[in-house]
Amino acid sequence: MKNLKFLFALWKANLQAAMEFRSAFLTQVVFMMVNNGAYFVFWVLYFDKFEQVRGWTINDMMLLFGIAATAWGFAAYFFGHFATLGEVIANGRLDYYLSLPKPVLLHVLASRSIGSGMGDILYGIGSFLLSGYLTPAGVLRYLFGVLIGVCIFISFLTIIQSLSFWLGNTAALSQVALSALLTFSLYPSALFNSATKFVLLTVVPAALVGTVPAEFVRAFTWTSLLQLFAGALVFLVLAAVIFRAGLRRYESGSAIQVEV
Amino acid sequence: MKKYLAIVQMQIINNIAYPGDFIGRSVSIGVFLFIFAGLWKTTFAIVGTDIINGLTFANMMWYLMMAETIELGRPRTNRIISEQVKNGEVAYILSKPYNFVLYHFAFGLGDGLMRIAINIPVGLLAAWILAGPPPSLAGWGMALVTMAGAWILHFCMMALIGLAAFVVEETNSFELIYQKAVFILGGMLLPLDMFPPWLQTIARALPFPYMMYAPARLFVKPDFALFWQMLAGQWLWVAALVFLLALAYRGSEKTLTVNGG
Repeated sequence: MKNLKFLFALWKANLQAAMEFRSAFLTQVVFMMVNNGAYFVFWVLYFDKFEQVRGWTINDMMLLFGIAATAWGFAAYFFGHFATLGEVIANGRLDYYLSLPKPVLLHVLASRSIGSGMGDILYGIGSFLLSGYLTPAGVLRYLFGVLIGVCIFISFLTIIQSLSFWLGNTAALSQVALSALLTFSLYPSALFNSATKFVLLTVVPAALVGTVPAEFVRAFTWTSLLQLFAGALVFLVLAAVIFRAGLRRYESGSAIQVEV
Repeated sequence: MKKYLAIVQMQIINNIAYPGDFIGRSVSIGVFLFIFAGLWKTTFAIVGTDIINGLTFANMMWYLMMAETIELGRPRTNRIISEQVKNGEVAYILSKPYNFVLYHFAFGLGDGLMRIAINIPVGLLAAWILAGPPPSLAGWGMALVTMAGAWILHFCMMALIGLAAFVVEETNSFELIYQKAVFILGGMLLPLDMFPPWLQTIARALPFPYMMYAPARLFVKPDFALFWQMLAGQWLWVAALVFLLALAYRGSEKTLTVNGG
């Protein structure tokens, strides 16, 4: 409960900071929505020509984009350092967070907000609304899918970037991991063979952000529910354990400073 | 000229200085080709044909390999100009005895050459594994010639977006929209041949296909008539955009305000 209050305080501060530059924030939001919409034109053209691919239609792709974009947007807007944690570690900027009596990982992740994430959230919701799966059960399953997606995005990138405790600068590795996770999450895993599907559920868990939640919204199955729940749990625990193990090795040149 | 060549050389050396980062960036072309191989293999199987709009599966993969190489090798000039405007470094650059736009051209060229140099072998390997041997030498030749024009067109657009930083400072949002225009109207994700006719007409009237479709299409289906046609269109757009860039630069210089730096 105390941590939740702390999180809300951080989010409020982030929002106030964004409102300082209101027009810049709004521009980012609008442009991100346009950007996502423009990218989706590829699927509009594709399905205009081929109608369906392994049972996936344009509505299913809208659903997949809706879930992945909302999940990415939530992670980026509310836990913005999830994409730059490695930099914080490598530059010794964890000192500031270590000096405060708050959960370090939670504090670092939520202390930054990426404004364009709000554009992804709005686009994702819009895409879901248009996908044709708008039923009470569909909404509940969509929200569950988004929650799992947020957990996977944050924990997977936390794991990769925590390697900075051992390797130093992992910017290139993080970029590759991020790009692979995001790119694969926007395509149905029905396109790939079994070995690749297995990789997309484990090593690069993109299927847990896109395909599996989308299939779960399309039709409830206990298998999908279990896959999503177990996947998110495993990745969250791994992220916490690896970050904690890395923290024991952390050293810096006493870079205590004000984080803006 | 010598000073600009020195800038190109400097950027090449800068890229080699961080080999891990340099090689790491090339992994994304493999990921991209792998995903699209899955999509197109499935599509060809579903349609039950070897050729769709004149392109085979192998054509499609090599087309995408060339398109992705161009996308990854295009300059990121707007980001650099935007950063320089925000941190005041632009004042330092403007006071030096070289042309601001040409400085960025040379800077981007050094960077782009290195990106292309690493992405071509990685893309070649990935596409070869996924789709079989590469296109003929004529295809390579036509693609390389039109790639030069495509790169200059990209530079002009990125510099135009970058110059907007003199007024609005942050230009990432404009770049994202531009990138998507190239992805779709430039034919990066889907060759123009697969567009509905009305959209083909619109796309062909814009500069985007000359930045992506022209080299990638000529790479897989070398055709001299198309080559000359694409080359002429490409350089007409280069002339128009260079003119626009010169005008924009003169206007931007007057509006720039630097605080500190």
